[in-house]
Amino acid sequence: MAKTKPVDDLIYPQNTGILRVLFGIGALGIFASFIGFFVDTKQFHFSYLTSFSYLASFSLASLFFVMLHHITRSSWGVTLRRIPETFSYQLFILAIMFIPILFGMEYLYKWTSPEILATDHLAQHKQPYLNQPFFIIRQIIYFSVWSFLGYRLYKNSVKMDENADWGLETLQRKISAPGILLFSLTVAFASFDWLMSLDFHWFSTMFGVYYFSMSFQAFFAMIILLGLFLRSRGLLLNTITRVHIGDAGKLMFGFTVFYAYIAFSQFFLIYYANIPEETLWYYHRLEGNWSVISYSLIIVRFAAPFLLLLSKAAKSNFTLLGISSVIIVVIHFLEMHWIVMPTLHYHGFSMHWLDISTLVGLGGLLLGFFFYQFQKHSMVPKNDPKFLESLNKH
Amino acid sequence: MSKAEQKPKKVYGMLAEYGNPAKLIRAAKLVNRAGYQKYDAYSPFPIHGMDEAMGLKESKLGYIVLVHAIMGFFGALALQIWTSSIAYPINISGKPFMNIPAFIPVTFELTVLLSAFGAVFGMFFMNNMPRHNNPLFNSRRFEKVTDDGFFICIEANDDFFDEDKTRKLLQDAGATHIEHIYTLEDR
Repeated sequence: MAKTKPVDDLIYPQNTGILRVLFGIGALGIFASFIGFFVDTKQFHFSYLTSFSYLASFSLASLFFVMLHHITRSSWGVTLRRIPETFSYQLFILAIMFIPILFGMEYLYKWTSPEILATDHLAQHKQPYLNQPFFIIRQIIYFSVWSFLGYRLYKNSVKMDENADWGLETLQRKISAPGILLFSLTVAFASFDWLMSLDFHWFSTMFGVYYFSMSFQAFFAMIILLGLFLRSRGLLLNTITRVHIGDAGKLMFGFTVFYAYIAFSQFFLIYYANIPEETLWYYHRLEGNWSVISYSLIIVRFAAPFLLLLSKAAKSNFTLLGISSVIIVVIHFLEMHWIVMPTLHYHGFSMHWLDISTLVGLGGLLLGFFFYQFQKHSMVPKNDPKFLESLNKH
Repeated sequence: MSKAEQKPKKVYGMLAEYGNPAKLIRAAKLVNRAGYQKYDAYSPFPIHGMDEAMGLKESKLGYIVLVHAIMGFFGALALQIWTSSIAYPINISGKPFMNIPAFIPVTFELTVLLSAFGAVFGMFFMNNMPRHNNPLFNSRRFEKVTDDGFFICIEANDDFFDEDKTRKLLQDAGATHIEHIYTLEDR
């Protein structure tokens, strides 16, 4: 067909304004959080963990999306792929950002305390896994796997932009196939370590899938928002078209249902079995006004996007997609808060200013790094063998 | 029925053959623009852009599925609430009789089941299926449609159907072959 030539400008316009704004906000947030660290150390660590798990989920889901794209040889989303590639490239920055959590383990994780270890039978029982040196070793393994995968996949893709060597595509697949296996294991165990071990009495074998399903749903919301942002700037109007964003919308709809299925299954099995050490986790989350959040998760995170995006036309309607994406990105943070915070504030839901400042700080820096990296190279993998096929999608 | 009683064969429609998918799309566009309603295009495989060329509207199947899904959802909830908390309440490990979380799996399954029924049988209904015969099968040439034939058939009961004009239209659209399709009235 004739219309296979990219007509858009593929380079993000060199614009330091957006970087200055994002890094400025980020620095401000970090500074406020730094003060918060001295004001309320415990709160600081819990807020930091919430924001970190929230922001890491986007990069991790991006990494999964890129690897899935490679091993299935998908063509539909090649024009979108540079966005998740850039996000997964950032995973080494997230590794650096994890360091404060390692130093705050005594505040976050009760199983680190020697008194509890001396008296609590379960803590002794789980000690071969839940002990500080092994925890740190595991984090090093997770982050080196993720950083390696994100870095390699991004660098190869960028290299293909320059030398158009299609052999690199085979290499990408060779990295992705074992990568996706390593990813599934490391993400599951990372979610056990970061979030589940906050309440070390509690366990749920599907917590890893739960964290992943949340992340992947929110990831599609983010990619839609970024696609719409680029379009609103008049960029890639003929490259990232209604069809590509519509496809991301369909997947977001699908993973909204997947999320609901997993989240409900986790709740339902625990509810029905009714074993005290399992139900306690949900019991805390249905106490006081935490229950408001619990019920709003069902309505806002599942029912609202589900009903908004049910019809075929809605899935490529930018207004409806934008609204649902914003809802999902916001509720994703609230759910992360709902997972972490009842350990600290088990009486009821309340937003601390540190929650906001850590989110703004880390988020501003990460988005700033994203745009910094995004400006350096073409916004789409322009020499990918399947790029033209993706452009022609209709 | 004897041969003498057999009524003359009635014209069902006019079948035109085209050389390739692109010509078929162009012909469908012309037929659609000429105002015909009762016509259809036939090809061995789905052709992208045919829906727009023929001016087809979005299928109504989605609404049929939606109605079934809503029926399944509320039907399942009503069934479980009535049976296990009104008609014959049983105490299951001290949980409330109106135990909504426990009802969700069945509700989900029944919603999906009825939606699937709605989709499959709704599709049958909208395609006039099951149907044992179609007058088009009376044409030997039409057998090519499962292999390499691209056809348009305009039905004779269309308001615009006119022996000469329709033939001219199909001819001008680039038909390689035109023939009549007959229904056998003695059935």
